Amino acid sequence: MLWHRVWLETRWRFLIGLIILVCSAGGSVLAYPKVMALLPLVPSMQDGGELGRRIQEAAQLARSYRGYIWSQWYRQMPVQMGTLFAALLGTGGLLSQSIGGGTLFTLSLPVSRARLLAARTGAGLAELAVLAFVPSLMIPLLSPAVGQSYGIADVLVHGVCLFVVGCVFYSLAILLSTVFGDVWRPLLLACAAGFVLALVDLLSPARSTFSLFSVMNAERWFRAGQLPWAGLLVSVLASAAMLQAAAVNYARKDF
Amino acid sequence: MATDAPVIQTIDLRKTYADVEAVRGLNLRVPASSIYGFLGKNGAGKTTTIKMLLGMVRPSSGEARVFDLPADGADTGVAIRQRTAFVGEDKDLYDGMTVEEMTRFTASFYPKWRRDLEERYLRAFDLPPHRRVKALSRGMRTKLALLLALCRGADLLVLDEPTSGLDPAMTEEVLQALVTHVSRAEATVFFSSHQIAEVEQIADHVAIVDRGRALVSGALDDLRERYRRIQLVFDGDAPQPAFRSPGVERVRRNGRVLSVLSSAGADGLVDEARALNPVSIDVVSVTLKEIFLDTVAGENAVED
Repeated sequence: MLWHRVWLETRWRFLIGLIILVCSAGGSVLAYPKVMALLPLVPSMQDGGELGRRIQEAAQLARSYRGYIWSQWYRQMPVQMGTLFAALLGTGGLLSQSIGGGTLFTLSLPVSRARLLAARTGAGLAELAVLAFVPSLMIPLLSPAVGQSYGIADVLVHGVCLFVVGCVFYSLAILLSTVFGDVWRPLLLACAAGFVLALVDLLSPARSTFSLFSVMNAERWFRAGQLPWAGLLVSVLASAAMLQAAAVNYARKDF
Repeated sequence: MATDAPVIQTIDLRKTYADVEAVRGLNLRVPASSIYGFLGKNGAGKTTTIKMLLGMVRPSSGEARVFDLPADGADTGVAIRQRTAFVGEDKDLYDGMTVEEMTRFTASFYPKWRRDLEERYLRAFDLPPHRRVKALSRGMRTKLALLLALCRGADLLVLDEPTSGLDPAMTEEVLQALVTHVSRAEATVFFSSHQIAEVEQIADHVAIVDRGRALVSGALDDLRERYRRIQLVFDGDAPQPAFRSPGVERVRRNGRVLSVLSSAGADGLVDEARALNPVSIDVVSVTLKEIFLDTVAGENAVED
């Protein structure tokens, strides 16, 4: 029943995220023929700076369907929206239940705080896994409609990378939710952390191959067919550490 | 009716928030099967004490034990809450759930959940099963919180200001439901209140707390038996005596009248008072309200 309670609290955030990501994935697939038609019109920019380089790179990648899907979808939408919704799912919980009521009622139940946090984390991670895998599955399902195919292995790898790195932002939001009593500060701080990381990537492209977002969009898998093991491991460890810190915070907290 | 083994015991319990001492060395002993009124002004430390008993707040020092288990342990806290029902002052429930969902949710945590009582109270309290908690009136919300507490099959009911914000009719209904339930279920009730009348109405034991300390505690009948007011009237201005008899709680001087509140009967004090040559000596019994007001206003104080 604790899972049900978490579901009631987070279902709208989850469903909105799912709808946005599914529509975005489907839209990217269905837009492929139009993008292909427009591709010859992309001018050859030799001196367009970073923006020109990116446009040229996207045009280059779009010459293959796999490259198009990666550059137009995996590289952008799940990374941005995945980060946002991972943080959104992680906010709330025991401290901020005062918004919807029930903090003292929950604490009066014969359940340890560790179990309360475990139920919340478990339910949130399940929702995050759905957000990571289900929109991706739309791609192989809809690809035949535009005369293309997309490998399930790619879907699974991207899903795993999205999920594991999404867990970092989810865990950060959970940890911040054990510190702040409202839903906004944890959300804003988790998103701000994502924004800073993205800014570092932008300002220092050389380092971006080692960045969290590079792991999240599985760039290494796309370009070299190798899984970003080190990045995934670091993400798992960081998430575990933040969840452990959240559990310690919960255990110490006076309500 | 009450047995010797305490259901709740606190020993020199303290809780400090930053520089505020909410509870200052509280000693309580709540007998089994009693209805224990925890009486105090707003801010006396009642809610903090209750939260410590339920493991929601960790004591700064001292000890809180419920069913002889430490209240601040993670595992023992769960064991305590398995046998305890709680109604918070704000009737803090899940606003997004319906009455029926709230009931099913709560029932899932209690193997001894009383389905028969649930049906009875749903009818008696006239609670609409499909209405959301946030749409319930204050009174309905209190009734739902009470239903969720009473149906758990709990050995201990901990109620924090259960009637706060209710009109007199609703207050009476809630108190009657409580008394009826306890008389049938052999449970212990520990309830906080700043309403002296309701404590006097249903409690058989009471503790009066002020600024985090218990000033008076014991069986209500025993308190009524022990507490006496001795009124001395003099020809001229009343003297400022230093009584040696035990149990002098408060001495108040008002012109020719000296009023002494004693917590140890009146016999010794009357003998001592006669030596002051008053015109008259009256010994009167005191109400809980008088005990409360006098003890909270100050211990052993001599007032002009």
